[in-house]
Amino acid sequence: MSAVAAKPAAGGAMNPTAMAVGIVLLLILLGIAYFVYPAGLIPLVLIVVGGVLIGFGVHFVPVGGAPAAMGQAPGIATGVAMLAAGGGLAGLFGGAWAAAAGQDALVVVITGGIGGGLMMAITCMMVNFVYVFGMGIPAASGKVAKDPITGDTQAEYKSQGTEGHGLPFVSFVGGVIGGLFAGAGGTLIYLELLNVYQAALPAVMGITAAQVMPIAVSAAGMFAVGMFLVNAVLTAYNITGTIEGPHDPKFKRWPRSVVASAVASALCGLVAILIVAI
Amino acid sequence: MTVKVEVIEGGIPHNKIMIAGIVSTLVCLYLTYLNVLTGTEMFSFFGGLAVIAALIWGSHTIKVLCSYGIGTGVPSAGMIAFGSGVIAMLLATKFGFYAPIVAAVLAAIIGFILGYVSNNILNMKIPAMVQALTEMAVVGALTLMGFAALITGGFTFAGLTTGHVTVMGMTLLTHEQSFLGGCLIAVAFLLGAIAIQHPFNACLGPGWQQDRMLMLTAECGFLSMLVAAIMSFALISTGSALISLIIAIIGWAYTYNEYMVLSKRDAAAWLDAKPIPEMEGH
Repeated sequence: MSAVAAKPAAGGAMNPTAMAVGIVLLLILLGIAYFVYPAGLIPLVLIVVGGVLIGFGVHFVPVGGAPAAMGQAPGIATGVAMLAAGGGLAGLFGGAWAAAAGQDALVVVITGGIGGGLMMAITCMMVNFVYVFGMGIPAASGKVAKDPITGDTQAEYKSQGTEGHGLPFVSFVGGVIGGLFAGAGGTLIYLELLNVYQAALPAVMGITAAQVMPIAVSAAGMFAVGMFLVNAVLTAYNITGTIEGPHDPKFKRWPRSVVASAVASALCGLVAILIVAI
Repeated sequence: MTVKVEVIEGGIPHNKIMIAGIVSTLVCLYLTYLNVLTGTEMFSFFGGLAVIAALIWGSHTIKVLCSYGIGTGVPSAGMIAFGSGVIAMLLATKFGFYAPIVAAVLAAIIGFILGYVSNNILNMKIPAMVQALTEMAVVGALTLMGFAALITGGFTFAGLTTGHVTVMGMTLLTHEQSFLGGCLIAVAFLLGAIAIQHPFNACLGPGWQQDRMLMLTAECGFLSMLVAAIMSFALISTGSALISLIIAIIGWAYTYNEYMVLSKRDAAAWLDAKPIPEMEGH
């Protein structure tokens, strides 16, 4: 408990100068894309949107970390990187499958979101199974007195000396919403990069469109995974590792993460698009 | 978030490891260029050695970064290293002979901006953050380039995207059977990401010893090289892949043995310290 309580509460504050620098940096990166490879500007903007969706979505996911594994804090008992990899990549697979079936862009992105949300729903349910039937602990939040959705009181179920435990209903819903956002964001990044590569790589490499498919899919997928992990880890830094869900006070830090994810996605997306421009 | 949990006591200073790491990685990567000069694929194994040099440097950087309580777990550091590294590495392969140097510079730029973003926009305020994320991106990019050189025998974009299949005696050009087209890069990505984050994750704590952690990194590196060497049978000649495989097995056996010796050395010291006091009635 002392180690949990000793976690510095600092980091909740905004740094307006750095936020302004971040936004300027974002505009500069978009400007570079416009001058170097004009056709890449719209895809890059959508990649930034995808990155922001990932960064914002991860805030909803109940990340418990090591304290949750010991039943001393609510949430899923692992780190953001693992949860994002699980939920987000499941979404990416779903979206990529829809893209390969030749679906409309909107359908592809929604399929990706549903894939991520489904993965998180299964994860949250199995986590609660393990908590309730395996560890013998009820679900209780330590951050709020009443569950914001069901209105159930929490204090009676919370063990002394813990921050709460298990996965309360609001955290479950948060996890599913987070999976939806993150899966849709990751799929959007993949889809935009895939379109750029499919359009430009045949001319760059001097081969046919059919031959370029495996390279375009693989490169777009790899970049999407890379950007996904970068955004997820930056968000993990923002929430300093653990969060209970949308009702957690740490959730209010999301504006910082949105700016950070936008800059990081613009940077990585620009480099990824430059492959066909150089 | 400026609580420093541990300090580095004794051992080789980080800057020395960093300089040795980047020099030996780049030298090993350029030694794989002997493949082009001599027209063989025999020197691919230098890519694996580049991977190990980069991983040793990277795992020590993770130690420097994660000594501050960043609260996100050690694996996340490995994930951001490779997430930013893979992007720099793939663009750099377009520069042919200069690819390793371009990868290092480009990854450093990406890592520096990500470090600024985490330290200032996300208000992490960790002194080592910017330098650590810069180094990690370079490590990620160079490790992946090392894996690429080990598996395909080269590090150019054309080499990573084209392969050959032999059908009834005829050699055909294909893009599906290649490092990028076959998505072997995804396996290389995770082989590296796990090898870079595991050593500090396994060795952290009051009994942390630099030589033991770095030996574990070398062991993880050779284990990853072993898997990559097996994958290289698909893309380079059997003899060359066999050289990589034998070097990986010998290196792994040696480092595993050394790591066990070091573990026993440190474990014996723990037994004498009696960390858990004896209670009455037990």
